Amino acid sequence: MSDVAFTYIQPDGEEKQVEAMEGMTLMEAALFNGIDGIQGLCGGICSCATCHVALDQALYDRLEAPSEGEAEMIAMLADHGPTSRLGCQVSINEALRGARIRVLGTEA
Amino acid sequence: MTRVEADPILNQPQIYDPYDYALHDDPYPVYRRLRDEFPLYYNRKHDFYAVSRYADCMAVLRNFRTFINGRSTTLEKEIIPGSLPFILSMDPPDHTRLRHLMVDQFRPHNVAPLESVVRETAQKLLAPHAGTGRIDIIADFAAKLPMAIICALMGVRPEDEDMLRGWTDDIVHREDGSNEIAEVNITGTRSLLGYFEEMIQARLARGEAGEDIVGQLIAFERQGKLNHAEVLGYLYLLAIAGNETTTKLIGNVTYQLWENRHARDRLVADPALAAAAVEETLRIDGPTQMQGRETSEPFELYGHTIPAGSKVAVILTSGNRDERHYEDPESFKIDRGSRDHLGFGGGLHSCLGAALARLEGRVALEEMLKLMPDWDIDLANTRRMHSAYVRGYTHLPLIFTPRSAA
Repeated sequence: MSDVAFTYIQPDGEEKQVEAMEGMTLMEAALFNGIDGIQGLCGGICSCATCHVALDQALYDRLEAPSEGEAEMIAMLADHGPTSRLGCQVSINEALRGARIRVLGTEA
Repeated sequence: MTRVEADPILNQPQIYDPYDYALHDDPYPVYRRLRDEFPLYYNRKHDFYAVSRYADCMAVLRNFRTFINGRSTTLEKEIIPGSLPFILSMDPPDHTRLRHLMVDQFRPHNVAPLESVVRETAQKLLAPHAGTGRIDIIADFAAKLPMAIICALMGVRPEDEDMLRGWTDDIVHREDGSNEIAEVNITGTRSLLGYFEEMIQARLARGEAGEDIVGQLIAFERQGKLNHAEVLGYLYLLAIAGNETTTKLIGNVTYQLWENRHARDRLVADPALAAAAVEETLRIDGPTQMQGRETSEPFELYGHTIPAGSKVAVILTSGNRDERHYEDPESFKIDRGSRDHLGFGGGLHSCLGAALARLEGRVALEEMLKLMPDWDIDLANTRRMHSAYVRGYTHLPLIFTPRSAA
């Protein structure tokens, strides 16, 4: 599997470009690269909502829609928006190449 | 000058020995002292470091490049001979590959449909005791419920559950004050792995892999996503993890609600609070007290350099009781609503079965509240498990007002 390069915009506005292995999730790649605002407390079972990110509309549309379980979790977050996702539910693939991922840093 | 004289951390008083049976009754004052006086602690006898403040526990759990799981999450230098790789004994990228294969089944949404079978099993186990007014809530109930569920998910015959539980108990056993691998750890490991191997071979001989977890793992091996050792390692972990900690969680919930009667009174009036009571128990008295990591490189903390290759104890329940992170942390508050506690660990290795454990804990409590809402604990006859990692009872006898048969 190849690496995909994209950028996280951390809650304080600082940008960090990373390269991550395809098949990892946005949450895992964030922990891997020490991105602020992603806690990944539950390890990716869609239970803690501490990996809240916002995507560009175009990217959001290109990815598979969130599952019912993920959508329910997102709906409970005070700062969610129309392109909110949980990073642990977004698999890294070619569609992410060059993407800019805004980290919302939602507290648990 | 020797190293011992040079480095004050090596001369700390030896107040934390997780292998010491005497610690297990009430480790919490020791944790508090660690947080206040020795936030980076070094145990000379067993040669490991320990972190105990919430922020430090979290930092270690998140930093999986420096703090690796390595060959195991124990503090022991050796692993049980004959054991096989499983996700707790792996790091990325292998860990990522294996965890992703199973993560979907353990999401809350996919675990929720199990509620009815968990409830029926709980009711079946509790019913014979309702009229007697006595039950050992561990031996008669909490030890059986999670094992029945994980065995059903794996396709293990119900009549084999007790045998499997015996082996998993043997695997985690340690002698008082010792961190040496014991003979029962090895025989337990061999028996459990042998059982699963036989089960897989029998299915292959029949030409039916099955639809359960074992069947899925067999399919993953056929697709080249797992090797055979990884299949067996997965089943080994699920059998141990699916049993031990949830059993202890139910016991600890029972104890906490007995000690905090006001909280139990509220639950009796409003059983919808059961999930919150389980969550607060996970924080204040969670079964998994501590997990080990190993440094892949030197790491600086509180002015001391932890050398590469060191074992580091992450004392999760100490982090959960850290005054620096939670208000009035040593009080049981049913409304606290903390979602960031470390009861299931944190980071990439956070408990895969957390949603199942929450479901089983909640349903167990709901059923207990229906049948024995006034339980009293026969304290003189309780028995504790002795483990460096897991805290809970092996026997917790309750007395309650009997229900006449309906």
